[in-house]
Amino acid sequence: MLKFLPLFFLVALVPAPAAPAPTPIDYTHDIRPILAENCFYCHGQDATKRKAKLRLDTREGQLANDVVVPGKPGESELIARILSTADDEQMPPADSHRVLTAAQKDTLRRWVAEGAAFTPHWAFSAPTRPNLPAVRAEHWIQNPIDRFVLARLEAETLAPSPEAPRATLIRRVSLDLTGLPPTPAELAAFLADKKSGAYERLVDRLLASPHYGERMALPWLDAARYADSNGFQQDGDTFQWIWRDWVVRALNANQPFDQFTIEQLAGDLLPNPTIDQRIATAFNRNHLLNGEGGAIPEEQRHVTLFDRVDTTTTNWLGLTVACAQCHDHKFDPITQRDYYSLLAAFNNVPETGLVSGSAYKVRTAAPVLDLATPEHKAQLAAVEARLAALKSDELLVKLRVDWEAQIATDATFPDPALRAAAGRPAKDRTELENGDLRRYFFKHGLAKVHPELANLLADLARLKVDDYPRVMVMEDTKPRDTFILDRGNYETRLEPVKFATPEFLPPLPADAPRNRLGLARWLMSPAQPLTARVIVNRHWQTFFGLGLVKTSEDFGVQSDPPVHQALLDWLAVEYREGGWNTKALHRLIVTSATYRQSSRVTPALLERDPENRLYARGTRIRLPAMVIRDQALAVSGLLVDRLGGKPVYPYQPADIWDSLAITKERDFTYPQSTGEDLYRRSLYTFWRRTVAPANMFDASARNICKVRTAITSTPLHALTTLNDPTFIEAARALAARSLRAASFRDSRLAHAFRLVLARDPDAAEKKLLRTSLEKQLARFTADPAAAQAFLTVGAIPRDPAFSPAEHAAYTAVCLALLNLDETLTKS
Amino acid sequence: MSAPHDSHDLCSDHGGENPTIWHLPVPQSLKDEWLRLETRRHFLGRSGKALAWAGLASILGRGATAARAASHPADGAALAAQLPHFAPKAKRAIYLFMAGAPSQLETWDYKPGLQSLFNTDLPESVRGGQVLTGMTASQARLPVAPSFYKFAQHGRAGHWVSELYPWTAKIADHLTVIKSLHTEAINHEPAILQLTTGNMFPGKPSLGSWLSYGLGAVNDELPTFVVLTSKMPVTRNVQALSNRLWASGFLSPEYAAVALRSGGDPVLHLSNPPGVNGDLRRAMIDGVNDVNRQLYETVGDPETNARIAQYELAFRMQTSVPELTDFSNEPASTWDLYGPKAKEPGTFAYNCLMARRLAERGVRFTQVFLRSWDNHNLLPENIKTLCEDSDRPTYGLITDLKRRGLLDDTLVIWGGEFGRTVYSQGTLKPNDYGRDHHPRCFSMWMAGAGMKPGLSYGQTDDFSYNIVKDPVHIRDLHATILHQFGLDHERLSFKFQGLDQKLTGVLPAKVITDLLA
Repeated sequence: MLKFLPLFFLVALVPAPAAPAPTPIDYTHDIRPILAENCFYCHGQDATKRKAKLRLDTREGQLANDVVVPGKPGESELIARILSTADDEQMPPADSHRVLTAAQKDTLRRWVAEGAAFTPHWAFSAPTRPNLPAVRAEHWIQNPIDRFVLARLEAETLAPSPEAPRATLIRRVSLDLTGLPPTPAELAAFLADKKSGAYERLVDRLLASPHYGERMALPWLDAARYADSNGFQQDGDTFQWIWRDWVVRALNANQPFDQFTIEQLAGDLLPNPTIDQRIATAFNRNHLLNGEGGAIPEEQRHVTLFDRVDTTTTNWLGLTVACAQCHDHKFDPITQRDYYSLLAAFNNVPETGLVSGSAYKVRTAAPVLDLATPEHKAQLAAVEARLAALKSDELLVKLRVDWEAQIATDATFPDPALRAAAGRPAKDRTELENGDLRRYFFKHGLAKVHPELANLLADLARLKVDDYPRVMVMEDTKPRDTFILDRGNYETRLEPVKFATPEFLPPLPADAPRNRLGLARWLMSPAQPLTARVIVNRHWQTFFGLGLVKTSEDFGVQSDPPVHQALLDWLAVEYREGGWNTKALHRLIVTSATYRQSSRVTPALLERDPENRLYARGTRIRLPAMVIRDQALAVSGLLVDRLGGKPVYPYQPADIWDSLAITKERDFTYPQSTGEDLYRRSLYTFWRRTVAPANMFDASARNICKVRTAITSTPLHALTTLNDPTFIEAARALAARSLRAASFRDSRLAHAFRLVLARDPDAAEKKLLRTSLEKQLARFTADPAAAQAFLTVGAIPRDPAFSPAEHAAYTAVCLALLNLDETLTKS
Repeated sequence: MSAPHDSHDLCSDHGGENPTIWHLPVPQSLKDEWLRLETRRHFLGRSGKALAWAGLASILGRGATAARAASHPADGAALAAQLPHFAPKAKRAIYLFMAGAPSQLETWDYKPGLQSLFNTDLPESVRGGQVLTGMTASQARLPVAPSFYKFAQHGRAGHWVSELYPWTAKIADHLTVIKSLHTEAINHEPAILQLTTGNMFPGKPSLGSWLSYGLGAVNDELPTFVVLTSKMPVTRNVQALSNRLWASGFLSPEYAAVALRSGGDPVLHLSNPPGVNGDLRRAMIDGVNDVNRQLYETVGDPETNARIAQYELAFRMQTSVPELTDFSNEPASTWDLYGPKAKEPGTFAYNCLMARRLAERGVRFTQVFLRSWDNHNLLPENIKTLCEDSDRPTYGLITDLKRRGLLDDTLVIWGGEFGRTVYSQGTLKPNDYGRDHHPRCFSMWMAGAGMKPGLSYGQTDDFSYNIVKDPVHIRDLHATILHQFGLDHERLSFKFQGLDQKLTGVLPAKVITDLLA
């Protein structure tokens, strides 16, 4: 097995013909991964797990006691142990379930023989700007990115692919930068622009589009585990969308990334923070919130704290520190003390860990930023005043007694048990019956016996809670002592710690505030080696599918070694020194020749570089599900591209939230939107954490920080784009649009095709479309009822100008167009 | 479709699984050519073997089951040679998850001594400083509440079974009852997550996802991992069920469960839109695939071929799922076994029958949820209703599996997420009391697939408060379940965030070999 699989791996790194002379062993690339995988668990940085007092993760450890004798494998204990077959000598030992392959043993032996060079983990020292490599094919170079890519390709005797056709390019870059396909007019303008710099002008237009911020918000919302509900039973809604809108605005305004970071982590701690800077801190409050009856506040508060530490370290440092909750990290140099010292930065928020108010639709937990307008407050005050005048305990008691008397004799009352209870005096009912009666009275009864009062109470609940705009934010107004917790248990405190950054990384400046603000500034400081690389890598991932470091969530010693580390470092330094200018970084990436290549692939290239990590071709990946939906809305003309605001409720199966319909307090019927809100961008779809929208496949569940999502391909996705009303209605609208646009069959089909794919169909495709249409037309003509039925899906009215059979046939073809591989893919 | 594996000589014939060519050291171009021929052959209808659902991912070079590749190729090769790690006893499992946590005191953990202690205070020595939930922490007294229901011994093995389970009592000899499960979680969400994903914090893959990842699909026309949620006979004290209980965490999303629904489409978006019949849909998919094939000729991306296969499978699921959910071909004896409620979609009885139909069709893991066991009050009344609802179908399922010869390699698991307190929460009358959450001990049972039938394992103290013998942590339960599938919990791992992640996590876990036949 091992004979071939590393092939995938190696072909990308060495020339394909049988390697003549072995390349020298590289510690980072060849050795550390083997040691980390097989040895660090017992011989790494966790002192409590360390065996035989041996460390293999440091140079000192390796050289001590002749474990490694550079140049002399025969004298090195390490080599003796890995080659040994004796039970008491063999390393790794049998009970570790680790086995070194013959190839790995040989690699280690060669490494020692070649002098056992040691390099500290690349990602833990600050990047410096590498020199731009020399290349032969200078004419290919558009910007420095291409030099790194081309130098490598030339070394591999590979050539880059030609530039993609203009139509492909505009679709690719429009989808990448705005999440929307080009309109026919935009396409025509770009194709007609023969002056030099046409592509750059296109890119600048897209970067200036308000839809840029909407597209670029998507990966950030995944990382920020943003959702519109708490995520536990009685899954209360929130107003965190106010923060979501802030993100879109900040991205559109091209807020420098250091500021973007500092405001989200610690905007409240800036001098005289603005409302927006305080809203930004909602980033830290996008976590789950437990409203379970039995939840223990301190336990839940710690769950939140752990989540904040994990989110911050994964998002900015590309490190997983969660293991250090219980013990020093096995592989990375993060101690348990580091973990709790970081946690201390988040431990001063006046929060309980719980969320209250189970009777309401919206459930938030302090601290919140009150964003109600004066008009809202005036309305609320008016309702409260009228209630105060009208409502009294006596009145309520009387109304309830009257109501109980009514239902006790009402044979049509739907709940016989409750009716029976109402027939007995209150003292002869159980506690539970009284509770049920009370709830039923307020929910249904009061409206019957005193409509005005019922309406006022409903207004009160709406104005005071469910519609009262408030976003959960950060405040450091409750200083707490922080302790190392034994095994992460909040009840078992060990020694106290003060806020500090991890010891293996550069220290906080002496004058830095010892709080979240200090942490945020430190994350963005030039000496700190990770943030710039981690973030640049994620931007690269947005455009190329894979990051330069594939494990974009992990830059630790177990991470994927980058094929293009110099490029990554160059980009990181460029980004930082350029003032963390995100739009400039995106412009650099999408105007590179690397990005602009055709994504056609030959079998030979596919074999040589299956994951396209050398970039000898353009990227070809399936679009994110949100973009697939937005694209369908856009090409059909249904899209309502208004920015921001409350979440909306587009088509979902009516019972989508049934598993939540458990409480008497709240109705969990899906409140499907009407009118324009059915056609807003997917970004605005209400995201219920417990039950995510059914058509957003492969999306992050928005429970925890997620910086890389998988792209899979299952029949369920095909069923969604074939049968979800969203796509059927879009196909119907697209059909109508095409029927209107032209008078003849072929031009109508070509129009639809162009709308969807931003190019004209070729002769063969024209023929396939024609044949398909004629078949469908014959079927629908023969079965008018079927045609009528097919055209009923979706809320927009049907245009009676078209014959049902014809409209249905075009709709079927348009639905097929929306399901083409090319449509679902960024090519 | 009931014979998912015909013997094509290019196909491996166990669980999942890609054509063997995929594992051969041959050039990629050859694999592509094979794939192209294979897809064409399939579309021409000459081969019943399509690409395994999960296998699609490997063609994309992305998802990949453990059987092929973990996060880097060398791992994949090693795993491919090793999975399953040893001969499995179980080919599939049905997990009857009693969400909300049934009281062990009224079901499986018989404590006759409590009857004389009615309304006495729970001795402080027994409680041992246990932190109580927010619901009883402020209660002045912790009075002992004996079970309102009686127990009797059943079967050759002599299991003590509650009178609430007259039907289940008949199959007592098939059951391996464990009375010494324990957990650290005292509230539902963390506890249920720990049972379903091995971790109290969200984000980890569920047990079913691990099995799908480790063993792949048997039937490529149905999901590998299915969840069924049941209508509740009583709706007091219900917990919401979040999708994260069956999510795939850091594993590829294709390993998440498909929740089969009892109303509307069993699988979301399964049905064709109104006005579109099977022929028309066939023509539409043919049209899509014709254009896609042409695209493949020009662009050469194997992902386009995967797309073609994906649409073919979707089309076939549109037939295989309705066949699955059509109970009309069930013999009359079925209704005798599961009871008449099995005809009503969405009931627990219906779901038990569905679980058997899924098992027959090769679905690896079916998790049936029945909620509303969280009886903080009115326990005697509510638990009776729940047991009445679930007793006969449970009996029916086990008996049916047995009759069909499926029990030998189908593991059935029954249980909730923690136990309940011996003391009463709120009102205490002999026939009316409640019980709070209790993590220190609870009961579960397992049956089939190499479990030791008739065994009663583990023991709690006289108050069913603390375990006195043979504790079984949830990690041990998971290790044991994986073991029955031929998987070593130490070795079934996935590299994520630089760590070899496992279902059983980093703390020690052991297979409870005493439970095994």
